[in-house]
Amino acid sequence: MSTTVQPAIITNAARLAGIVQAVGRRSADVPRRWWESALVFGLSLVVYTWIGFRVVAQLHIVNYDILDRMNRALMVWHNNPAKMSAIGFDYPPLQTLLISPLTIFRLGVDFLVVIPVASAFFAGLLMMYLNTMMRRTGIPVFLRIALLVAFGLNPLVVLYATTGSPMMIWLAFLVASVGALYAWYITADVRFIMIGGLAFAVAGLSGYTTLLYFLLAAVGVGAILAHLGADGTEVEGTMVGFASPAIYVVALWTGFNLLLAGNPIYWITSAAPTTTDIEQFTALGLLRWTGELVLFGAPLAILVLPALLFVGLGRNNPFAVLLSLMLTLSILTPAMSVLLGLTDSPMAMENAVPILVMSVIGALWLARSAGEGAAAISGLLALALVASIPWTFQGMRTYKYQNLEKVFTQGILSGESQEGATTKGGQTITLDPALDMGQWIQENVDATGSVLTDNSATYAVMLFSGEPELFFDRIDKSDGPWLQAAKNPVKADVDYFLLTTDGDDLLSEQYPELLSSGELTVVYSNAEYAVVAVPADFAGLTEASAS
Amino acid sequence: MTASIQRSSSRRLTEGVESRVATLLPEGICRTFRVMPYAVVDDQVLVAASDADDEITLQVVAERVDAPVVLVRHTANEIVAAIDDVYPPIEDELETVEERRTRIQMAQMLTRSGLITNEQLQSAMIQHARSGDPLGDILVADEAISEDILVAALSEIHQMQRVGLRDFTPDMEVARRLPEPIAQRHQVLPVADADGTLLLAVQRPLSPELLEEVEEAVQQPVRQLLANRIDLDELIQKVHGEYYSELATSFLMENAPEISAHRVFSTPQKVGGIGFLVLVAICMVFEPMKTLIGLVTLASVIYLVVSVYKFRLTLRALGTHLEIEATPEEIAALDERTLPIYTILVPLYKEGNIVKRLVRDMNALDYPRTRLDVKLLCEEDDVETIEMIKSMDLPPHFHCVVVPDSLPKTKPKACNYGLMVARGKYCVIFDAEDRPDPDQLKKAVIAFNRVGDNVACVQGKLNHFNQDQNLLTAWFANEYSMHFELVLPAMGASESPIPLGGTSNHFVTSILRELGAWDPFNVTEDADLGIRLHREGYRTAMIDSTTLEEANSQVPNWIRQRSRWNKGYYQTWLVHMRNPIGLLLKIGPKDFMSFNLTMGSAYVLLMNPIFWSLTTLYVITQAGFIQALFPGLVFYMASAMLFVGNFVFIYLNLAGSLQRGEFGITRTALLSPLYWGLMSWAAWKGFIQLFTNPFYWEKTEHGLDEEEH
Repeated sequence: MSTTVQPAIITNAARLAGIVQAVGRRSADVPRRWWESALVFGLSLVVYTWIGFRVVAQLHIVNYDILDRMNRALMVWHNNPAKMSAIGFDYPPLQTLLISPLTIFRLGVDFLVVIPVASAFFAGLLMMYLNTMMRRTGIPVFLRIALLVAFGLNPLVVLYATTGSPMMIWLAFLVASVGALYAWYITADVRFIMIGGLAFAVAGLSGYTTLLYFLLAAVGVGAILAHLGADGTEVEGTMVGFASPAIYVVALWTGFNLLLAGNPIYWITSAAPTTTDIEQFTALGLLRWTGELVLFGAPLAILVLPALLFVGLGRNNPFAVLLSLMLTLSILTPAMSVLLGLTDSPMAMENAVPILVMSVIGALWLARSAGEGAAAISGLLALALVASIPWTFQGMRTYKYQNLEKVFTQGILSGESQEGATTKGGQTITLDPALDMGQWIQENVDATGSVLTDNSATYAVMLFSGEPELFFDRIDKSDGPWLQAAKNPVKADVDYFLLTTDGDDLLSEQYPELLSSGELTVVYSNAEYAVVAVPADFAGLTEASAS
Repeated sequence: MTASIQRSSSRRLTEGVESRVATLLPEGICRTFRVMPYAVVDDQVLVAASDADDEITLQVVAERVDAPVVLVRHTANEIVAAIDDVYPPIEDELETVEERRTRIQMAQMLTRSGLITNEQLQSAMIQHARSGDPLGDILVADEAISEDILVAALSEIHQMQRVGLRDFTPDMEVARRLPEPIAQRHQVLPVADADGTLLLAVQRPLSPELLEEVEEAVQQPVRQLLANRIDLDELIQKVHGEYYSELATSFLMENAPEISAHRVFSTPQKVGGIGFLVLVAICMVFEPMKTLIGLVTLASVIYLVVSVYKFRLTLRALGTHLEIEATPEEIAALDERTLPIYTILVPLYKEGNIVKRLVRDMNALDYPRTRLDVKLLCEEDDVETIEMIKSMDLPPHFHCVVVPDSLPKTKPKACNYGLMVARGKYCVIFDAEDRPDPDQLKKAVIAFNRVGDNVACVQGKLNHFNQDQNLLTAWFANEYSMHFELVLPAMGASESPIPLGGTSNHFVTSILRELGAWDPFNVTEDADLGIRLHREGYRTAMIDSTTLEEANSQVPNWIRQRSRWNKGYYQTWLVHMRNPIGLLLKIGPKDFMSFNLTMGSAYVLLMNPIFWSLTTLYVITQAGFIQALFPGLVFYMASAMLFVGNFVFIYLNLAGSLQRGEFGITRTALLSPLYWGLMSWAAWKGFIQLFTNPFYWEKTEHGLDEEEH
């Protein structure tokens, strides 16, 4: 007989034998329960939106960052012409892009509904991811509910989940990313690496801080795989799968910055404060305020961090080490931002929210690592979270570096509008003038591009008018044409100037005496804004005018 | 374990079988070797044996019992009664007395004459114990003896005359007296008429019932002559080859012309296509910009919808494991006596160089060779391959099937031909260079047993064994990983019409025949067949078993193969969209969309170069007219596809490889856009060929992987 060739087929099973993340070696994941996830998400969304509507519309406590982003999102759909570049390079792009669906219809903007939804939606996602993580931890349903409620009612969380804070966007995706790694470590299923990688990419363009977590996670994944006995090919392949989405989005964003802003790292440098009037800190000061931030905002971290290190190093639990490093990063980030000069609101209390979230995730991992003690640790976690509610609430009233925290507590306690109230940082809460001016423009201006304004100062008016196409702003055709139009508004078919009454806008800088000189007619004004009519014979800043 | 023979023992089988040892040996071993473990005495397992002196029996038992064994002589009746107690007999599966006698005679004849060794006999006996197949067939399949020796032995045992059919020239009138279906089914053929008695070549003596059936069919007495199975098979093909060939070519065309690709475009399609082009031309004259914007919008919408559909499928597959799985335990628990005959169709053309490897890989399948029916389908003009096969003197589970030379000379026609001579309950196609997972056939059998009756096809996964050869093969492996690990399992799970892969699709043979099998005029007959199965209410399931193929490692060869695939996709789309309303009503809106979006991917490949050129041109020149082509929403759609969609597809390529555990080629997935460029090149080639040479089969050259050199 002639055919005797030795079989050389490598079966799938043989091929996968040495692979840590092979199908046969994977632990079973918790069964999918989409309805539970949908329920947690839906309930959180409804509750935060409801609270948010009361806080924003009735108490007038609104995160100003969101107004600018929302205005840009409105321009994405309704500017003339609609343009993607309205997103700009000043903020992480997804902070605007991801809320842009809320502005497809203008109606929601008029009634302030979309502002709380912008943060409540992502807070809902965050709660959903936390719930899934709790299921993977093996926490029984009643304890899950208690934990979610205790965490969800933390006043800091409520503030940022209801007032449109863009932080909720990146935080939701950060939790999704860490949650995917959590699932990966439990199941060894490489799918979660991919999901984690994609989530980090989205989170990275929603908040640049996430990129630091990503770097930690990448190192952690590689180290864990090596620790589990994976060979170089598996580590490399996994790292490619994990890192490529984040690297792609960073490269893409850098490319856009180079092409359109002329500076590939403009997205980093633009985060630097524009004002020099920022408090300087000593090393000791930074240490002190970091401690206070943790103490008032996320006291749970004080317990969780050493416990994670103990479990991680003492019991050979590499994922606990990774989580402890992430928690440490969240604690150190505010101080690092100050040291690197990347923030204009140093040591702000909002920085405590990521610390709190990372502490909760760390505590969940501790519970899972405790085996049969998981329920007991979860119970303790719930108690700690409940206890921290009044503690943090009080901290929000006293902590020095903050935004709307104190005003929020005042509003909650009194139930009265905070219009005109002053924040601890000295900022006055004013929403009515923007609403009022937006309404006036909506009712009295028809011509597209006829209101010249510096959108970086008047974004709230533009937003509340619901008609960004009426404005000739710096985004429409970039700064050059806008300055030309400012100099010769008639040539640019401008009928009105919209200025701030305190002169803190680029148009007022061009015409510093405009409001006081009476040269042009102020057709409408309020405490914050004024609209000035531009007559057909107005020479502006052209040579004719100068002469 | 140690073993010894003891002619008697104080403890006898008649005192009963201890339950803890009763099933130490499988039923097949007990019945074949007439042995029965029945007690443990002094830590030794007592095994009743009718032939306690037989060394083979002792060795077989000792190898299977994890304790010292003692064979104790008992009568056959005592042992059979005990076996029947432990394993209640199923009449159809029991060896008859006649069969047993034949087996023993055969074993004695072959061993005494020194034609086989004790080891060969032992191995064959064990296989017989598992499968119940005739000992002689097993020995031939294992290449321990030749078919001629077996025929001689059977002739001696049954006292039946032999006939040599090699180089025999049949009298067609005589040969065709017996209707082809009977000849094919029983592998018999009239070879001569001797004074009113028809001399019938048979592969094995016919039972009285079968003999009666044959005599009734030919209306005359019949005398059986034993023949070599290989020679007889070739002779049947020679006698009925023309009929097979005609049927292989024209069955579908004549019985279901509306779904045959022998016509590329139907008249309404021609009118519609030309009408659309004229309309576009007119619009271009009057409103060129608006027309271009309209076309760009249409293209963008197609892009978006196809991409979203594919993305949704892959996401679904990423979340779960959607293929039908069979565990090693389930496979081990399969009773081989119940395994059906499995036909393997292997179309070959100018591939003599890889026949040895093919035979090796087919023999490595974990399936009783005696139940394999491997059809090596060769074209008549491919003398080199035919001679190579013949020179290898293959055992009779390999059949060299020579397809008569006729047009169209395509793989589907060869497969149709092979299907007509197939004997298996199930059949599967493998390409010559394929290396299926050894347990794939058993997994397919398990899958067929597990799924509903409407599942007519089970598709195995495909991937490549030479993925590390070069960048092209790595890209190919990335693509296949995504397609077979993510896309197809998701389509299978959602019961969408699946464009079948070229090989490793396992069919229920009878259903396949009923449907007219493959369309010989379609150059992606596999994809087309998947859709036709779906149209007729049948479904395709995926199994978690992989066949490794040779990835094309040379660009020109790859382009040829891929252009054929794309042309076939266009053909398939055109065939099934001849009557879109009818198709919609027949398969429902969900599957109608799925079909169009799946086939639509071939059209997207045509659009790619246009959009890439526009983007590049815009980046370089910032030309205003290009910007004008993408107003508002169209711009957002196009941007989303450019920046998000492209990356997502790159990533899904990577995800497929990760899901499969092929970590070494994840890097190359990041360069997929270059591969897409090649895909578009091939798509355009295929598209142009659709008009210039629609039925031309771009042959792929195999055996280019480095391992062979």
